[in-house]
Amino acid sequence: MPAPTLAGFEVRVVVGIADLVVSNNPGAVLTTYSLGSCLGISIYDPVVRVGGLLHIMLPDSTIDSAKAMQKPAMFADTGVPTLFREAYQLQAQKHRMIICVAGGAQVMDTTGFFNIGKRNYEAISNLFRQHNLRIQAEAVGGLVSRSMFLNLSTGEVKLKISGQPTDCVLWKS
Amino acid sequence: MEELDQYINRVKNLPPAPKVLPKLLSLLNDPNSDTSKVVELISFDPGLTANVLQRCNSAFFGAAMPASDIQEAVGRLGFSQVYQVIAAVTGSRTLSPPQKGYGYARGELWKHSVATAVASQRIAECVGEDGTIAFTGGLLHDIGKIILADALEHIYIKLVEETEKNQQSLLETEKKLLGVQHAEIGGRLLAIWKFPADLVASVWFHHQPDSAVTHERIASCVYLGNMIAHFMGFSYGHQAFAFRGRVEALSCLNVSSDQLPHFMIETFEKLETVEALFQLQG
Repeated sequence: MPAPTLAGFEVRVVVGIADLVVSNNPGAVLTTYSLGSCLGISIYDPVVRVGGLLHIMLPDSTIDSAKAMQKPAMFADTGVPTLFREAYQLQAQKHRMIICVAGGAQVMDTTGFFNIGKRNYEAISNLFRQHNLRIQAEAVGGLVSRSMFLNLSTGEVKLKISGQPTDCVLWKS
Repeated sequence: MEELDQYINRVKNLPPAPKVLPKLLSLLNDPNSDTSKVVELISFDPGLTANVLQRCNSAFFGAAMPASDIQEAVGRLGFSQVYQVIAAVTGSRTLSPPQKGYGYARGELWKHSVATAVASQRIAECVGEDGTIAFTGGLLHDIGKIILADALEHIYIKLVEETEKNQQSLLETEKKLLGVQHAEIGGRLLAIWKFPADLVASVWFHHQPDSAVTHERIASCVYLGNMIAHFMGFSYGHQAFAFRGRVEALSCLNVSSDQLPHFMIETFEKLETVEALFQLQG
């Protein structure tokens, strides 16, 4: 059941590292701060106004399956299915989902030894491809750390780039 | 060296020196030291004593069995744990204020520093280096940014533009625009404050560990710790990822890049447990 809200007030719900939140509370703005090489993945069904935000840290749960059981949102391959499952429980449907992705920053490295941001992105891209899902909008890679905001009343996704004063819109209807 | 000293001497407001830390580090390395010396050292600063005690009680002991003085806290937690609390209190005094010159808001540099300290310590322990030195080096690695922030405040936009346009690291752009860069300024400052040589080197060369000569391994721990903090989002200011990947840091520690995700998980777990100690919330 959605939490009670005061009309006209937005409630900022913070999604931590290796965490996810799914809600149908139209007054909530799901927020995740400073993604670094981590990825923020938002999904939104505009018909039932159900949305979710996931903050994954690493691509592959096989490196620590105990941790994946305890915190599935830490990894791409366990976090994304959990995110969708929780949204389905609130009547969201796969074919209506609007998917946005942000984060995955990379240091200046041509060797590929430090490319965790890139590997995170590859992991979720493969996963979406396997399930015939399309990323609607993305802001990935580069040298900047991003924060991500999903407004559950409109589905609008905003980004804030660290060190920059203003937000920018990643997706809106 | 002269250029660095001249730069430091010109700065009007130096950050407060964490004076007690180098002395405590030498006590930590002295097998004959006892807890009374630690208590004596920090009792010169009543604010510090009260703060350390309060944090030990809230993070470790709870309201049911609080420690009544530092002696008791050292007895119950051990010296190295209490050292971390003292480092947390003195470090946060120095590193918490906002640094406009880098686009850091209040507390952001502090969170980055704590995440770096925790990751550096974990890596050091894993490769057989001194965890306390790596922890302290990680905590203080960006102290030079506090010195440069004043000068950079007026040219911050230029710093970001030059970094983006020329695909340079922030460090290289600082050097180009100011003649000095934050790692060497920080290292020099810690040397002036009489920190031990390995700690000084770990800060001075935290972006170029292969230049740290005999201290390359400890500098590599702090280099990788800093990178892990950035990966995990404890990373602020524009173009925060504009630093170079150094494969030498991995090879010198005999660590493979596959181990980095494990260090990230361990840092994540440790940070959850030390949140209250380092006052990371908010």
